Amino acid sequence: MSSQPKGAAALGAAPAGIRIDGVVQRFGDHLALAGVDLDIRAGEFFSLLGPSGCGKTTLLNIIAGFLDPSEGSVYVGDRDVTALPPYRRDIGMVFQNYALFPHLDVAGNVAYGLKVRKTPAAQIKKRVAEVLDLVQLPGYASRMPHQLSGGQQQRVAIARALAISPQVLLLDEPLSNLDAKLRKDMQSELRSLQQRIGITTVLVTHDQEEALSLSDRIGILGSGRLQQVGTPLELYRKPANRFVAEFIGQANLIKAQPTSVAGVFEAVDRFENEGQGLLLGTELDITATQPLRFVLRPERIRVVPAPPPEPRMAGRPVIRSPNRTGGTLRELSYSGGSIRLVVDLFGGGQLIAQAEDAQFTELPVVGQPLALTWRIEDVVPLPAEEEVPA
Amino acid sequence: MSGGTTRARLPASGRGFAWLLLSPTLLFLIAFLVVPGILLAGLSLRNVDSMLNLQPGYGLSQYILVFGSTTYANALFTTLWVSLGTALLCVLLAYPAAWLLVNAPTRTVRTVLYVLLVSPLLTSVVIRTFAWIVLLAQNGLINDALRNLGLIDAPLRMLWNMNAVIIAYVQVMLPFAVLPLATSLGEIPQSLSRASMSLGAGRVHTFFHVTLPLTLPGMLTGAIIVFALAAGSYITPLLIGGRLQPLLPITIYQQAVQIANLPLAAALSFSLLLITGIVVFLLGAVLKRWEKRTYG
Repeated sequence: MSSQPKGAAALGAAPAGIRIDGVVQRFGDHLALAGVDLDIRAGEFFSLLGPSGCGKTTLLNIIAGFLDPSEGSVYVGDRDVTALPPYRRDIGMVFQNYALFPHLDVAGNVAYGLKVRKTPAAQIKKRVAEVLDLVQLPGYASRMPHQLSGGQQQRVAIARALAISPQVLLLDEPLSNLDAKLRKDMQSELRSLQQRIGITTVLVTHDQEEALSLSDRIGILGSGRLQQVGTPLELYRKPANRFVAEFIGQANLIKAQPTSVAGVFEAVDRFENEGQGLLLGTELDITATQPLRFVLRPERIRVVPAPPPEPRMAGRPVIRSPNRTGGTLRELSYSGGSIRLVVDLFGGGQLIAQAEDAQFTELPVVGQPLALTWRIEDVVPLPAEEEVPA
Repeated sequence: MSGGTTRARLPASGRGFAWLLLSPTLLFLIAFLVVPGILLAGLSLRNVDSMLNLQPGYGLSQYILVFGSTTYANALFTTLWVSLGTALLCVLLAYPAAWLLVNAPTRTVRTVLYVLLVSPLLTSVVIRTFAWIVLLAQNGLINDALRNLGLIDAPLRMLWNMNAVIIAYVQVMLPFAVLPLATSLGEIPQSLSRASMSLGAGRVHTFFHVTLPLTLPGMLTGAIIVFALAAGSYITPLLIGGRLQPLLPITIYQQAVQIANLPLAAALSFSLLLITGIVVFLLGAVLKRWEKRTYG
């Protein structure tokens, strides 16, 4: 911890990690958190991501001290804070609706935590100016919260949380009330601010793009459990289970069973159609006999216009090759840079593909035959043990 | 009481319809408030001879009498202070009750508490005032109990003084202070006290620096209602304080009903209305200013 990034000195507190140890939260009969173990490293930007009702806000409230967990402990640094009230935890928090005190001006809001700590007035003044500079709101000290835009209120809320030099910063969906463009700006600003002062930051969000672009690591919460913890890249490229694969990005999930050829799987369920079904070539050197589930990301599928398939003659075998199929375009949505295509496969089933605008001189039309291919490494198997639903 | 709301403008046709809907109330108020008020104002400008007969011509002689005589001026300012004191006591006592209402564990409990709070308003003021006489009289419940416990030898004189009047006022008017305060408390988002706590403030600090300031509108609204009610009430002070208390509503009652000096009674009424109006206006101005500063 001797080589702190520049700016952390101004903040005056060494970042601390957070350890969550077997935390269970029950609300009556409802099990909101079913045993969560998590290590958040000092100085890292960590996101808790999940659909609404997954328990991410519950976990954040447990870290902040607003909820007492039914079981388990929370450590900040080496300190067991489980039994401490929120006002003894030294945790800065930014709320979804900013929660600025409407009766205090910007300076009053930012100074609030310092006044509680009985900091001398001169020092408060200096610190307020300092953190307002940090969030790029110098000269706003005497404004009232209602005179500020949403983005500015957000900055004041962050400045207020940072003013007390907390060991940890918690962000509860802090950007969800901002419009799309401002949200993007605030995201990059938040990230650079966090990197400058090097504070351990936990972001709760349901917006996967936000989590992916901001975080060092992400914990995916689903049904009260941590489904996977990893870097954005790991989560996207190597999802641990079906839940993660479907939650992060778009995914074609294909269940397939091994064939006699090593590494080649034949799709089952809706992709199966009189022996014409989809063949997946994988990097697996397979000896398994059980069907597995595979993830194929839409943007990994290459789409090219194709001649219509020859009419199938009775008795003639269909020639199939792995990772190559054809179909007709069912649906196309154009969103400028990228195009989303839903393709009905000739062999049954549907695949979603994402292509770039630059790929086509003329957009394919609905009903047009298309050839789809992808590389062997694009077929990502999900671990077999995760077949049991979480 | 929440500020910062922008009023939606109705289209012209809708405005006409709104006036139509308002007209019964408006007509009622004109017939039974505005017109009598004007008549009373006219009456207060008349003069009387020694036999209390109305004299021709108009003048300010009644008002000169009201503000010139120590008796009436004294009664006016006593009324003012007693009403303000009652308002202050009511707001103080209303706070725990309002807090309990807002933090009731379940909806059912809250409903029961609201019913309990409002139920005294279903009884007439006279009856509630008589209940205080039963309690406070020389041979009343409290004196009996104290005597039986051997705590006192001679009964305490608890009736017929200003303290008894204030106690009765507070009991009668408390619900009017609780309701706006509960509304105000309920409107404070939970995240504000959480934010305060995350910044290191304990519950007491949070209460005095976040909750209390933000309930100022509720406290002021409650205070305004209680003050106006107290300044105008005459049954309670008459029954509990007696007719000798220097309170203006009692004086007005005596002048109008017992002495039948109607111009003086009218002038006293308007003087009370004026002073009450000024206080309500000032309290209202503080409220407006605060809301403008806080919510824009």
